[in-house]
Amino acid sequence: MSALNNPVVAVIVSLIIAVGYFTFVDHYLMDMQGLDYWYLFRK
Amino acid sequence: MGPVTRKRLLSVVALCAMIGLLLLPIVMALPSPAIGEDAPTADGVKKDDGEKVEKGRDVYYKTEGIVVGAPAPKTTDGPKDYPRYNFESRVLLWFANQQHLYYGSFVLAVPIFCMIIEFMGVVTKDKALAKRYDQLAYDFIKISLTAYSLTAILGGILIFTFLTLYPAFFGYLSSIFRPVMHIYALMFVAESGTLYIYYYGWDKMKEGFLKWIHLSMSVILNVIGTLLMFLANSWIGFMMSPAGVDEQGRYLGNIWHVIHTALWNPLNVHRILGNMAFGGGVVAAYAAYRFLASKTEEDRAHYDWMGYIAMALGVSFLIPLPFAGYWLMREVYAYRQQMGITLMGGLLAWLFIIQATMIGILFLSTNYYLWQAMGRMRGAEKYQRYIKYLVFLLACGFLVFITPHTMVMTPAELKAMGGQQHPVLGNYGVMSAKNGGINVIITTTVLSFVWYMRGNKVSTVSWAKFGNIFMGVFFACAYINIIWLAIYGYYIPANVRVGLSVPQVATTLSCLFFMFALNSVMMKGAKQMGAIEWGKISVRSQYALIMLATAFTWMMGLMGYIRSSVRLFWHVNEIMRDNSPWAYTHTVGFAANMISFNVLFFWISILFVFWLGSLAAKKAPVEAKAGVPGGVPQPAGSH
Repeated sequence: MSALNNPVVAVIVSLIIAVGYFTFVDHYLMDMQGLDYWYLFRK
Repeated sequence: MGPVTRKRLLSVVALCAMIGLLLLPIVMALPSPAIGEDAPTADGVKKDDGEKVEKGRDVYYKTEGIVVGAPAPKTTDGPKDYPRYNFESRVLLWFANQQHLYYGSFVLAVPIFCMIIEFMGVVTKDKALAKRYDQLAYDFIKISLTAYSLTAILGGILIFTFLTLYPAFFGYLSSIFRPVMHIYALMFVAESGTLYIYYYGWDKMKEGFLKWIHLSMSVILNVIGTLLMFLANSWIGFMMSPAGVDEQGRYLGNIWHVIHTALWNPLNVHRILGNMAFGGGVVAAYAAYRFLASKTEEDRAHYDWMGYIAMALGVSFLIPLPFAGYWLMREVYAYRQQMGITLMGGLLAWLFIIQATMIGILFLSTNYYLWQAMGRMRGAEKYQRYIKYLVFLLACGFLVFITPHTMVMTPAELKAMGGQQHPVLGNYGVMSAKNGGINVIITTTVLSFVWYMRGNKVSTVSWAKFGNIFMGVFFACAYINIIWLAIYGYYIPANVRVGLSVPQVATTLSCLFFMFALNSVMMKGAKQMGAIEWGKISVRSQYALIMLATAFTWMMGLMGYIRSSVRLFWHVNEIMRDNSPWAYTHTVGFAANMISFNVLFFWISILFVFWLGSLAAKKAPVEAKAGVPGGVPQPAGSH
């Protein structure tokens, strides 16, 4: 836990969790509606 | 039998009687499906006496049923179908309906608050705090009791207005809903009985087992109230999206189809949330009024606390309200695309711009109140310097949210601008941007709440630093995700874009649930910088509460008008045409004036209710000495 209290480590870990979570939310909730979240990147 | 046992027995009997009252309408309704008593024999075509049975096709469910009702009347403009005074009948009905709805919403919402607060009082271990919660719940129900009588009176006025000015339409509607009309009336009787026993039994059932019985009564009271509202919603749902009738409007014998129309459930959810937000706003305004009129520090402290609790409850229902509204609109589009276009992109679109402005005002007022409220706690100063950034976010979200898609212009202005859309600002007048705008506003409100909740506290958990950083990063990523999805929407086709609103909403809700939960865990056992000094709040904050309540009232009037006008020249959409001289849509200006008049009338009349409440409170010191609810307690030491 002490490593996590290091600001740099905390920011990196938080970024990984938050970015991963929101990407998952975006992808999964679009997929659930039968839509492609990555539409623009695939075209 | 001892007095305590007798009291217990009596309270259990009262509770059983309430449950009985609740079940009575259902039992009464059982014979109603048996309209089939006249129904045909097995072949489904002919009765025993040889009389031919006619079948019809449900306009919505597409199922076949036996015609058991008369067709919708074809009205003509005249004294038979549209008798009138020397005044526009629709305006009179509008007024009666709106006032009934305001009071109805209020008396449905306040007992729900009461139930929540009473429950908090029962489960709180701190006895002093429990007593304060109990007193607050009692204060809430006291306000709603006077309003309850007014609701019933206004309901009577509404029925008479219908019978006098729209007899043909009302006759048809009551013929369709005949199987449940009396259930509604009986539910109202059950509601009244339960409410009076609940209110007058407060003092007698204030402790132990009896208190739980009392709390159970509030649950029953609210179940009855909610069912009443659902039934009333089925009428407006039927008028907008009829079902259970054939194309001539003949009832096909299935009352569930008539009630369970395409828009019934979204209307139910939207209305229950709206009523709660409205009820919270009105009680907060009441507390603000009493705060401003208070002569003692003790009173100011109590009403400051009451205003905060009412505001917090109201806003907790306001936050999901736009999402429920979005679901309702989605269902409207799914039911009839043209109806959706009339609402959002046609005749009524400008009213939605006004609605967006009102929603923005609601959230701005809430945030402003919270920032002001931080002033009453030591330690919250650390957040003051960041508030300007929240103001910036709110202002940006608000400006995008209220940008119209097209402008009403003179030909010269049109020419100067090069089209109906402004070359720059026009880009923001689309749903993709607006969804981003409102989600930024709501997320910022969540952030303000989180700051307020931790204002005078310092977390003592070992991972506090990480928790704070994680919270900051999560909010930052949420903002980025919302804005990214809003921008992304411009670059993909409409059929894909429409789905982006779901992850946007999920992002906002993630902030709400995860950050509130994380904050609660971090603040458990936190070091307090100082107690909250209830009553030590700026007067401006109380005006923000009054603003909040007024904006709720105005918006409710506006949304009711929009929902009703979308039927255009139909009493019952595509089934019964409105042939009165007033089957046209009013101008935006006229509608706005009418809504303002309704709001003004409601607030003048509710001030009268508040004044009546204050007359009762003047007797409080005597009652307080006797330990009866009604005195002014000290508010809670925490939120």
